[in-house]
Amino acid sequence: MKKILLAALVAATPFAANAAPENFTLDPTHTYPHFAVDHLGVSTMWGRFGKTTGKFMIDHAAKKASIELVVETASIDTGDNVRGNRPRARDEHLRTADFFNVQEFPTMTYKSTNVKFAGENPSEIEGQLTLLGVTKPLALKVDRWVCKDNPNNKKPMCGGNATGSFKRSDFGMKFAIPNVGDEVKLFIEVEGFKD
Amino acid sequence: MQEILNHPAVQGGVAPFVVGLVATLLFAPARLAGLAAIAGFAVTVWLVGGFSFVPLTATRKIILVSLAAAVAGVCADLAFKPTRASGMVLGVVFGAVSAWVFWTVLAQKPMKDALLMGGGVSVLVAWLVATAHSLRDAPVRAGAAGLTLGLGVGIAAILAASASYGQYGMAMGAACGGYLLVQMIRGRTSAAGATLTLVVGATLGLVAGGAFMLAELPWVALPALALVPLAARIPLPARLPVWGEAVLASVLGGIPAAAACFLVWQSSRGSAG
Repeated sequence: MKKILLAALVAATPFAANAAPENFTLDPTHTYPHFAVDHLGVSTMWGRFGKTTGKFMIDHAAKKASIELVVETASIDTGDNVRGNRPRARDEHLRTADFFNVQEFPTMTYKSTNVKFAGENPSEIEGQLTLLGVTKPLALKVDRWVCKDNPNNKKPMCGGNATGSFKRSDFGMKFAIPNVGDEVKLFIEVEGFKD
Repeated sequence: MQEILNHPAVQGGVAPFVVGLVATLLFAPARLAGLAAIAGFAVTVWLVGGFSFVPLTATRKIILVSLAAAVAGVCADLAFKPTRASGMVLGVVFGAVSAWVFWTVLAQKPMKDALLMGGGVSVLVAWLVATAHSLRDAPVRAGAAGLTLGLGVGIAAILAASASYGQYGMAMGAACGGYLLVQMIRGRTSAAGATLTLVVGATLGLVAGGAFMLAELPWVALPALALVPLAARIPLPARLPVWGEAVLASVLGGIPAAAACFLVWQSSRGSAG
């Protein structure tokens, strides 16, 4: 009888672990916030931030999760870092007080306040974006979410894609509106390894 | 109309020039024609981003200090008799204020960098306030100093990757240009006083300091810009008509301003930092 109980306990252990909150640390080489913004009403310009750190917690059974992202604003990259014949490149301009003001505000952060689930996976994140010293709500839609073992190092990992949008003028970034669009669309790819 | 007002050249050039010109005509009878400088600057602030002071960023503090400088200037002109020490005292006060303006930036830097950058900008602001203030009783030279220093700071800031700081600098230059043009056309001077010189010295010192700290303005441009009010003081032939004095003083002030822009241009050669 004891053997049967012990076997049942051992068999149930993975499920118990799965039901508990699991903490993950973001993999900075596979976590990049991308953004898109209208330029002169003609085309859509794309850029991304190269350095992002953070963590997330997920409890699939209890349908609870949270996430925190810290983005280094100086790591902005819109593909224009070479001055050529111009005095400054676009990315240098984006780092000044006209836009991201990286000397005064070296980071922007996103902290979730509530995560909604569809089935076992998160589907929508409500949270607060802090940019240029202003904190405003920002909702992100989770387009994809997968948890599995990394096929290379076999470590448990989770990741996915999320999208959202905000008006930069709400955060005091008003330079060059409307020539450079007010609405900023966000596309965030996230991967994290279990702690 | 909105499309016109959104144009950077209108925001930083045409609008402050027209407002500076009108303000000079309006306030000259009250001996407050120097309000042209803050009026032109204020209209550019309004057009570029509007008046908002929360959160109180370094840029917003610069705008706040500019408005305070105008109030202090009017009070000084109406209520106090200027003394030889007043320029130095005002310079020290505004130099100290610059540490408050850039505190959020300085506090994040290593101590040595913070002291060098903060101290350097404080000295620049103190110097520009004191030297600009020494022109308070020379309206044409004060206007020429404001025009050339404003254009110098503005163009240098644009070359240093900050278009809004460029617009703020150019706005001050354009407003002083309007103030100067009224005197040239009328052939008689309109009082500058601390109302103009305090705003010019404090605002342009802080805008240049901001372009240095928050954008890519190289420090070597700052000493060149600091020479502008001195250059506008160089003695000119006596009995010059107002327009002649204005042109000559502007040429003299323009030399160090142009040198500063050249230094920024030179520093920008090469790959991005």
